[in-house]
Amino acid sequence: MSTLPQLIEEDIRHIDGALNDLLTKSEATSALVLDKGGFLITQCGEIRRFDITTLGALAAAMYAATEGIASLVNEVNFSSVYQQGENFSLLVNNVDAHCLLVVIFRAQISVGAVKYYALGTISEVAQQMQAAQARAPGEGYDLSALNIAETAPLFHKKQA
Amino acid sequence: MAIINQASKELQVKIVYYGPAMGGKTTNLVKVHENIQTAQEKGKLVSLATSSDRTLFFDFLPIEAVAIKGFKTKFQLYTVPGQVIYNTTRQLVLRGVDGIVFVADSQYEKMPENVESFANLEDNLRALKMNLVNIPYVLQYNKRDLPNVAPADYLEFLLNNRDIQVPSFSASASRCDGVFETLNMITRMLLHKFLSESARRSA
Repeated sequence: MSTLPQLIEEDIRHIDGALNDLLTKSEATSALVLDKGGFLITQCGEIRRFDITTLGALAAAMYAATEGIASLVNEVNFSSVYQQGENFSLLVNNVDAHCLLVVIFRAQISVGAVKYYALGTISEVAQQMQAAQARAPGEGYDLSALNIAETAPLFHKKQA
Repeated sequence: MAIINQASKELQVKIVYYGPAMGGKTTNLVKVHENIQTAQEKGKLVSLATSSDRTLFFDFLPIEAVAIKGFKTKFQLYTVPGQVIYNTTRQLVLRGVDGIVFVADSQYEKMPENVESFANLEDNLRALKMNLVNIPYVLQYNKRDLPNVAPADYLEFLLNNRDIQVPSFSASASRCDGVFETLNMITRMLLHKFLSESARRSA
């Protein structure tokens, strides 16, 4: 199974640049890049406002579930999910085989504008992922810095 | 698959608790959430459940472990719905899984459901082009505090009777017995796997 390429600082800097550009142009509140398994890769904007770890896990699941529903009704061109809110709305876009772009924006902002500006961001993020993949094809992990001897036990139960 | 973010020095890992309906998967997460000793802010346990508290989509608990050599290690724990009808949902939750805890119900009358659920796990992994040979997993024989439980050896024969046997734990999740032992073992196996893959690639 192919995996998300290993990302280095340069990749994250490029992706963050694209996200910040999107936020400036669209006036959206926050933008996140997620792995389709629900992991958060990077985020920009007003992130302290939301529980973004949970938001990422739920948004990835929502996208996967809606994609499943779309395929049940023979919809092959599925690439985004829009959740309209009274305060904040949310747009989840497909980036590539591994990633999603999530944009959170105030309900007053037009979703059309967010979608329009997100297109450029999606392309930039996808290009950076390709560059990362090309840098080390098939390379997923480099955990040489880890030391397993120090990990046991990772989790401790509170004493009664 | 696990995310290694060299920029933010983060390692993110997904662990899925799988098993038959009402076997104690959600209870495992609830007990981890209630009892974990953590220096960091505790993650929120999210349950997408029906009004009768049966898992509908999944439960989700993010937890952070101590930093290992400068890496922040973030574990995302998920459960799947156990009811047979929710198979599509189980496949969605398994997407990108790194490690699995199979929670079996030790009661005698639940043996067919345990076996069926384990076979279902293998089927669903196959559909995602994965298999148990490559994914670390552990077995938890839950509900050992109940009177009508099968011997652990019998559960071993049913679920762990393979070329390579995996670690198994007797547990009583409602009392938090065996819950942390199981979690620590699967995380240890996962980190070992990542390290050995990393070493093989760099060789």
